[in-house]
Amino acid sequence: MSQVVPVDYQSKVHKPDDFDAFWDDVLRQVAAIPLQAEVVPDRLRTSEDVEVFQVFYTSLEHVRIAAWYCRPARRAARTPAILLLPGYQADPPIPKEWARKGYIALSVAPRGKLRSARQFNPGYPNLLTYNIVDRHTYAYRGFYVDTWRGMDFLLSRPEVEPGRIGVTGSSQGGGLTITTAAMRSEVRAAAAGAPYLCGFMDAIALTHTYPYEEINDYLRLHPESRPRVEETVAYFDGINFADQISCPIIVNIGLQDNVCPPETGYALFNKIGATDKQLYTYDGHGHDAGRAQHSAIVDRFLAHHLLAEG
Amino acid sequence: MSDQTPVDFDAYWQQTLDDLAHYPVCPEIDMLPLRSTAFATLYGVRLTSLGPYRVFGYLSIPTGTGPFPAIYYPPKYQSVLEIIGQGSTNLQRSRYITFALAGRGQRHADTPYAAMFPGLLTEGIDSAASYIFRGIVADSVRGLNFLLTRRELDAARVVVMGNDMACITAALSAGVTHVVTAPALFYNTAELAPRTQVYPLEEINDYLRMFPARAEAVRHTLAYYDLRAFAPRVTATTLLMAGAPGTLLDGPALAPLVTALQGQVTVYDSAQSNYKDGLYVEQWMAAQCGITDVQSILPEHWRS
Repeated sequence: MSQVVPVDYQSKVHKPDDFDAFWDDVLRQVAAIPLQAEVVPDRLRTSEDVEVFQVFYTSLEHVRIAAWYCRPARRAARTPAILLLPGYQADPPIPKEWARKGYIALSVAPRGKLRSARQFNPGYPNLLTYNIVDRHTYAYRGFYVDTWRGMDFLLSRPEVEPGRIGVTGSSQGGGLTITTAAMRSEVRAAAAGAPYLCGFMDAIALTHTYPYEEINDYLRLHPESRPRVEETVAYFDGINFADQISCPIIVNIGLQDNVCPPETGYALFNKIGATDKQLYTYDGHGHDAGRAQHSAIVDRFLAHHLLAEG
Repeated sequence: MSDQTPVDFDAYWQQTLDDLAHYPVCPEIDMLPLRSTAFATLYGVRLTSLGPYRVFGYLSIPTGTGPFPAIYYPPKYQSVLEIIGQGSTNLQRSRYITFALAGRGQRHADTPYAAMFPGLLTEGIDSAASYIFRGIVADSVRGLNFLLTRRELDAARVVVMGNDMACITAALSAGVTHVVTAPALFYNTAELAPRTQVYPLEEINDYLRMFPARAEAVRHTLAYYDLRAFAPRVTATTLLMAGAPGTLLDGPALAPLVTALQGQVTVYDSAQSNYKDGLYVEQWMAAQCGITDVQSILPEHWRS
């Protein structure tokens, strides 16, 4: 059997003193930019039970962001909603299955993803280290905001029940779930799987798989930049956002996760500020983080908090 | 071949290969210092394929004197091109030559054609002659044939690893010794798609809901891509990655494919664990390629 993972693993990341000020400034900038949402029916993807739309909205630096928007054909005047956040290299899915579960669902393609790459396209691999020596232009500064703007879009929709919005995703989607739950108080419940973007500098020593390996590649070529890299990623590390989470949240990790090391999952979970939080660990599982078994737990958790079931 | 195999199946693919051969490869190879290490050097490779169309791949060559076994990653069903599969440790590149190809439409090969995901699976699907995958299969064959020209390569140890494209590429090319294939797109597709609402097969359902009159044309095109028709041409030793028991593409569902494959076949039923499934594949490839210290190239969290 593989190695034992320490549950009390301590991340090396430190929270910068001006962490909140940095993000307050970013939020001020984006607040001045109109959402300019477009909602375009997609007849090809629409079926009898699910209406599908392509959505576009404006985010930080006026970058246009694409998303898939699905809603149950038969629904209440105000329907609970789910914000779905994508993996690092995954193409954002059309979230029909969430609509079939009774939610309105928005699946966001943050900048650089397929359909959101016209104005910003650092590529894969490369996104993780794009401008990584400068927090003010680092790729994830806009990328994070793009997901938070997804909340703005949902809140702008008359068919969405604003008090019942959840957020979920796995891998990068898990990391983005953490940052979104921390930064958007409207999130009623969150479910994060195999969270990426948590413990960046820990992860590059714990694993040598991509995408974290991109940082090792970068530091091998630019070893003198290590202090600047560490300084930058501290502003984007999910562990430094975690204490701001107050909504009910569940996290699942695989104890043999070779992509997002489980050590970082423990470190993250221990920092989450919410009192209603639960960690599910899956021995014998890697980056799937027990998805085949855990998806039913996510369904029950979100239904309990958003659909008032259970 | 299956009963559904078109009578001109062989002619269709021979014509595709003949058309491909009309275009010289014209490789451009550029070293990529950012992704090169002490144990492997990475190159960006551009090749001409059917069309003509320029495609791109990441080629990694281990440090040292070969010959080395090789893993060829044919085009995946996603927009992103990975250097090696996510989850494999970078140290895989210390022992294997790896070559990952972006077919037309994927990143780095998305000019002039940029594929959509979902969307690619039904691009031109109502005509076998113009179906996008005819070009993508040609891209994949071209990529493999380029890899086989590398002097560092041990021709006795050439693994093709991927989804359906691995099996199809092995069927249409000489030189493949081992195949790792996880069918997802082209196994009994016309019959299985209506039984799921999950992408990518849901793309077929979307398309036929919009264009019901094209159902027969779609069925006709898909018959040229069905793995059961390619299987009699596959003589390589094969690891068939089946879905978990009870899923759409589980072992029993794939039984006709197992029977039709001509090489030695091992069927692995997914444990729905990236760890267990991934570890099995890494160990299988290492054993087949004579790599005795597989522990040293496994991800840290998978080592004993």
